[in-house]
Amino acid sequence: MHIHAYEKLWLAASILLILLLIGSVTYGAVGPGVAMVSDSEQPIDAQGLDEDERFSEPRVEQVGDNEYAAYVVAYQFGFTPDPIVVPENSTVTFYVTSRDVIHGFEVVGTNANTMVVPGEVSEITVEVDGSKEYGLICNEYCGAGHHVMEGNVNVVSQEEFENRNSGGDDA
Amino acid sequence: MGQNQAAHASSDDVSGEEEFDPIGTLTLIGIYFVILLLAWVYIYYIEFLGRDLVVVG
Repeated sequence: MHIHAYEKLWLAASILLILLLIGSVTYGAVGPGVAMVSDSEQPIDAQGLDEDERFSEPRVEQVGDNEYAAYVVAYQFGFTPDPIVVPENSTVTFYVTSRDVIHGFEVVGTNANTMVVPGEVSEITVEVDGSKEYGLICNEYCGAGHHVMEGNVNVVSQEEFENRNSGGDDA
Repeated sequence: MGQNQAAHASSDDVSGEEEFDPIGTLTLIGIYFVILLLAWVYIYYIEFLGRDLVVVG
């Protein structure tokens, strides 16, 4: 079979492109450690969140050396806690669940974005850098008030985080 | 006569095909290729990886 020289050229180019796409996704996974939303969490009773040890009191707590867990409940139409306050330069795992309908959990302008399904816990771990205030929105239509369903994720300094937490304990 | 000419032309193909030289198409595909590469680099490395809160688990 005779293949024209130019055709060989663009066959090679398209193979190169495929390798490049696969290569960069592999780099993303190996280098910066980009991962998918975990599906390892066990289902929970969406009606019984009041008795759940993690979600009866939605909060941010320290779970390791510079590692924090944020337990968040999405509902019609908001998120609790609001704002979600986390310390800077740490690793934060969000555990998000819904007590009514399907919601979205999107930290605006970032890659932290997951669906929130009643009865399921969405788990995403992110690395946070310096102090910053992020918006938080629901990106799944969840009812008449969907457009006002929002929250905040505030990344604050370590000191401020401790102050807030000790303040919270006193109150 | 016409058939003879056609037969004559196709017997010349072996040398004639390389003379078929779609340089314009090659250039166009080359430009598309470069656009695709730049777009991918921009979308993946700058927009996606450059954003805050990269999901790591």
